[in-house]
Amino acid sequence: MHFLFLVTVLVYLAASIFQALYLAIGERTETSTLRPRIAQIAFWGTCLGFVLLTLFIILWWSRQGHFPMKHWTDSTAFFAWAITLIYLIVVRVTQLRAIGSLVIPGAFITILISYSFSRNTSALPENLETYWLVPHITLIFLAYAIFFTAFGFGVLYLIAEKSIRDKKHTVFQNLLPSLGASDELGYRCTILGLILLSIGIIIGVVLKQYIEGVILNWLDAHVFFTVVTWFIYVVHISFRQLWGWRGRKAAYSEIVGFIAVLWTYVGVKLFLDSAHTFR
Amino acid sequence: MNQIVSIGTSHHVAPVEFREKLAFSEEQLIESLHHLRESYKVDEAVILSTCNRVEVYGVANSQRTAESPVKILLDFLSNYHRISVDTLKKWSYRHHNLDTIQHLFRVTSSLDSMVVGESQILGQVKDAYDFSRSAGGAGTILNRLFAKAFSVGKRIRSETTIATGAVSISYAAVELAKKIFNTLEDKTVAIIGAGEMSELTAKHLVANGVSKVIVANRTYERAVKIAEKFKGVPVAYEQDLNFLIDADIVISSTDAPHYLIERKPLAEIMKKRKHRYMFLIDIAVPRDIEPDVSKIYHAFLYNIDDLEAVVASNLKERKQEAVRAEQIVSEEAKRFHDQLQILEVNPTIKALHQQFQQIAETELQVCLDCTTLSDTQETAVASMTQAIVKKLLHHPVENLRHAVNDGNADHGQYVQALQELFALDDNNDKEQE
Repeated sequence: MHFLFLVTVLVYLAASIFQALYLAIGERTETSTLRPRIAQIAFWGTCLGFVLLTLFIILWWSRQGHFPMKHWTDSTAFFAWAITLIYLIVVRVTQLRAIGSLVIPGAFITILISYSFSRNTSALPENLETYWLVPHITLIFLAYAIFFTAFGFGVLYLIAEKSIRDKKHTVFQNLLPSLGASDELGYRCTILGLILLSIGIIIGVVLKQYIEGVILNWLDAHVFFTVVTWFIYVVHISFRQLWGWRGRKAAYSEIVGFIAVLWTYVGVKLFLDSAHTFR
Repeated sequence: MNQIVSIGTSHHVAPVEFREKLAFSEEQLIESLHHLRESYKVDEAVILSTCNRVEVYGVANSQRTAESPVKILLDFLSNYHRISVDTLKKWSYRHHNLDTIQHLFRVTSSLDSMVVGESQILGQVKDAYDFSRSAGGAGTILNRLFAKAFSVGKRIRSETTIATGAVSISYAAVELAKKIFNTLEDKTVAIIGAGEMSELTAKHLVANGVSKVIVANRTYERAVKIAEKFKGVPVAYEQDLNFLIDADIVISSTDAPHYLIERKPLAEIMKKRKHRYMFLIDIAVPRDIEPDVSKIYHAFLYNIDDLEAVVASNLKERKQEAVRAEQIVSEEAKRFHDQLQILEVNPTIKALHQQFQQIAETELQVCLDCTTLSDTQETAVASMTQAIVKKLLHHPVENLRHAVNDGNADHGQYVQALQELFALDDNNDKEQE
């Protein structure tokens, strides 16, 4: 199984390189025949990586005997899986491939972290063995992956806007989605992510009460920052609805939102103490 | 031997005053194609006549016509349009075999066009070819040639980027709009002032999905007049720019001596339209739009120089690509030429084989009839005759093929010599039919 994981990591590495190449080689003349091939390899490489990763997670699950969400290996592997899933859906729906150049390398880094922790496994605390845990964690990680995609669209937006304002022909200008498309997709991702995050949080609260019979400790660092993240996205969406916060401002808030996600996910666990800490 | 030749004139070598004299109308085309076949003994012909070029492609058999095929086409054009041969020679280009093939490939690839990479020429050549074919002009060789020319034209367009990137101001504006807006449908364009360029740009935008056109002019009458062309909404403006609230794309080309759209009022307007994107195109000189407008959130301003810079960079890109395209054209032309020549010598080789085979079989039969041989001996003699035929023909056939592949122009003479020495002519003709 370890071997399977290693193969998965390598496939992701290759897919990331080709995804990044797709944008990086730009539109230079000698690449016009090369680029479709690179795009193909990148896409199918990602698909292959996704299949392998799915297989790995299933095996890992059955070996652990419980839903794999307690350890860094589990959660980062699942995060990479979710990012890839969202990417595949976005490409299927919109045909915009440029987003892969950002999110697939992101997925690779995540899965690399996962791999580096994969030697040791741990059991869940007795009291967390519950079916509620599965939707709680799944939804929140899906939301994170969607926020990461929104972050990607925010970055693409800023690059595209800069190139239009500077009136310069950057090498990959024509490969980027239009401003309107990046903005719209970033927004849709944000809304979808927020919905999933909300449901995930509610399930978490119910989980807490069901298991421990007590109201949630809001000062638990992880809970606190999750709510902060949730709040950032709510503000972003309201501003957009009320005062037309589109375009650059929306792109910045998508980026800020994801930084908050990252802090909640990684920062809190490394620097602060929480019941949600991975070991 | 069949010769593919062409004569033509284009914007590269002749002014319009001369090109128009050579142009063919449809009725003239039918008449000329007929003429070429009947009076000039040209086996196949295609005539291409567009505003930028007039070209005649022909296939003639050099053995059957006394004059060189190029000369025949020259005479034809000179007689038909009543232009002296010398004038015609001065303003035209004439190609022969490989050069003709290469030239046609360059034409369909739009490498010979005024704007490299333009898309019209492929369709024009197709129409000309279809017309000539239905009029009985094109035959086996030109059919193959033109089919190949179209596929080369398509290959060049898909494998190089000579046909990408806008090369006119109006298209550059459309491309930029597409980079800003998710979709151009349900968008509104406002044209301020009159002008060919702004109207052309608006027309392209409408063709790309823009649904509403606002036409603003100082006088309402003028606005109504221009608005008719686009089924647009006419607006008269004095101080009031409120019509811009609905406008997603603004094209300004008035002759006003001062800025028409300034930063402050536009900022107000942008607020009223909730900062939806606005793409402003200023093609007026002196400018209509204050440059600082581009600092407004979600307002994107391009002036005439900016658009021209886009066009210039695209043109440069196309020129670089053209070098690569030329290479592909050369390779394809060479390959096609070789294939054609192999086809030319194939009937001769076949006839030669047949003749030898026939002699061998007849003689073998005579021999077997006079003698009594066992079955094994019979087989041995039969295979021996086969081997002799094979070995005798090996060198001549190989050398003939080499002559073709080396691009040796003498292979025509070889074929002729073979046909005369072995009296292949009759067989050969039967074969072709």
